[in-house]
Amino acid sequence: MLYAEKLKYVFYVIFHPADGFWDLKREKRGSLSASLTIVALTVFTLGMEKLNTAFLFNNNRISEVNVLVDVITVLLVFTLWCVANWCTTSLMDGKGRMRDIFTAIGYALFPIVLIRLPLVLASFCLTAEEGAFYHIFGFLSYAWTAILIFMGTMMTHEYSLGKTVFTCVITILGMGIILFIGLLFFHVISEMIVFVSTIYKEVRFR
Amino acid sequence: MVQKKKWGTKRILPALLLAAAVFLADTPVLHADMPYDTYSYNYWGEEVKEPHSYLYAGMISGKEIGTNLSYPSDLFVTDHALYVADTGNARVLVLSEDGALQMEIGYGKDASDPLKSPQGVFVTGEGHLYVADTGNSRIVEYDRNGNYLREIGRPVTTLIPDGQEYSPTKVVVDGAGRIYVIAYGINMGLVEFNSEGEFQGFMGATQVSVSMFTYIWKNYFSTQAQQDRMETIIPTEYSNIFVDNESFIYATINNLSSEDRAAGADAVRRLNPTGTDILRRLGQYPVIGDLEGVTFGWNYSSFVDVAATDYGCYFILDETDGKIFAYDYDGISLFVFGRSGIREGNFQKPVSIGLGDGESTIYVLDNTLNSIFVFEITDYGRHLLDAIRLNNMGDAQGSTREWEEVLKLNSNSELAYTGLGKTYLTEGRYKEAMECFELGNSKKYYSKAFSYYRKEVMETYLTKAVIAAAAVLFVIWLIRKIRRYRRWVGEVRCYMQKN
Repeated sequence: MLYAEKLKYVFYVIFHPADGFWDLKREKRGSLSASLTIVALTVFTLGMEKLNTAFLFNNNRISEVNVLVDVITVLLVFTLWCVANWCTTSLMDGKGRMRDIFTAIGYALFPIVLIRLPLVLASFCLTAEEGAFYHIFGFLSYAWTAILIFMGTMMTHEYSLGKTVFTCVITILGMGIILFIGLLFFHVISEMIVFVSTIYKEVRFR
Repeated sequence: MVQKKKWGTKRILPALLLAAAVFLADTPVLHADMPYDTYSYNYWGEEVKEPHSYLYAGMISGKEIGTNLSYPSDLFVTDHALYVADTGNARVLVLSEDGALQMEIGYGKDASDPLKSPQGVFVTGEGHLYVADTGNSRIVEYDRNGNYLREIGRPVTTLIPDGQEYSPTKVVVDGAGRIYVIAYGINMGLVEFNSEGEFQGFMGATQVSVSMFTYIWKNYFSTQAQQDRMETIIPTEYSNIFVDNESFIYATINNLSSEDRAAGADAVRRLNPTGTDILRRLGQYPVIGDLEGVTFGWNYSSFVDVAATDYGCYFILDETDGKIFAYDYDGISLFVFGRSGIREGNFQKPVSIGLGDGESTIYVLDNTLNSIFVFEITDYGRHLLDAIRLNNMGDAQGSTREWEEVLKLNSNSELAYTGLGKTYLTEGRYKEAMECFELGNSKKYYSKAFSYYRKEVMETYLTKAVIAAAAVLFVIWLIRKIRRYRRWVGEVRCYMQKN
């Protein structure tokens, strides 16, 4: 199938998550490239939201916003989840490959784009009293995404409900462990570099 | 200036830079010798330096008065005189504005009845002087020439235990002649007397705030021995009082524990005659002085005195850092100035603040330096206070003019943008109001202006939009009809050809 058609399939997935995610993998109706496009769109949406939301609903200090940091944060969380999920599910009889996980999670992020991008525009037409609508829709986008991620994991790995809940909890723990090991590794490496460079300097200046 | 130009970011940024450059180039030359900074808090709670509102203009001490003060503890300022409670010398001094001694009051009824460490003075509208004669447990009233009129002794009540000393430290009298007294060690509120000097009761007691953790710990987990060693939780006492032109009483509290502060206890109140706190707290931040104390949990401001203007602005004196905090009638911080230190113009132990005629002068009494500091208003401060005053009086035009002057001197002033926006809002210039509120970071008012602006836009374009939409729908309907007609014609032709 064409790339465009695979991208269009996301509209089916978000409204029929069980069926959608099943076909996404078994019938090959989605692709990794389409999924990564959605991730890019999500990053774009969150950046847009921070910078261009109307004054009334924008609690960010525009002069202090660093879009690059936000982009990296979103990508990091996305990658971490996928990797941690792959690590846990491959130990727990998960049927999904790394590629399947990335695809499913990418498709699951679409409600953020679908709701929050129009919300940026809507924020220019709402007063503070009507802000409840804005906040409800904002919350809805995240709740929907969370449900989709859950369903995506369930379908990709062919799990039962209980096992999916358990896997999700373990995945979040795994993300923490990966972060911890990453930071530890980073620290050790920097210490080693300092050590080597100190020895070099001592030898050099003797 | 505002209505002609559009305030795009492209224009405002160079303007701000230019203003900043002018400000930086100008200020050090003008007031380099000021021993303190003047700043205000912006929307984000940061201290932003701004032009001085009041300049240190000298001090009145023993040399100017002709006799030395000794641990003075209260100051009252009327239109053309300063009243000082000279506690250490057991007397009250009446000084002219430049510090010349006009009258000295050291006795009650007669020479055999001296005052004993008086700590509070108050002067009524008729010029009657009330002295809180702390050491003698009484309030003494004098007429405008300093002649003894009467004394009000210990309140006749069982509410104060017999063993407890009654030591009045501060006294005020409201427009109806009611006398309110702060007495040392009495934490049930202000002691209230009627105009005859009869005890009426206590007024405006502070509520005790106990955190849930303390409550549970104290009542369920601690042993008797621990409870005995714990300090009892008692209401806080007021440190000072001030009565404004509407007979409302401003009261400060300075011995709040950090637990009280964390629970959001008030450090200043405005009490109505029934003792209810009616201070407006509509600002982004609470009326607690320095915000860093709240953020980091140390170095809290400690309010020792307050003085209010006729239009609801009030100045609070802080003992911790020797700062004076000015707030408007909504409890929004206007500016902060003053400092404790050893330079000339720095306080050692400020205890009392008084406002001169029309707020053009602020007098601060220092207990350790035995002198009165004099601060004079600058053009900037004048414009700022006038803008608020005129707005309070309903003079929108005058207020706009003053706010624009403030912006000329300080283009960072969120206060001025918000003030200007409010006048635009009342004038119905919603678009400009919105721009001002955005610069002033005032979301509440922005939303208000925006709702009116949106209504205006809707009223202008709604009919046109409806007509345009109807026209489009009609055209679509027409095209469909024509197509259907053509199809029908085609079908008919087809049918005819078949047959």
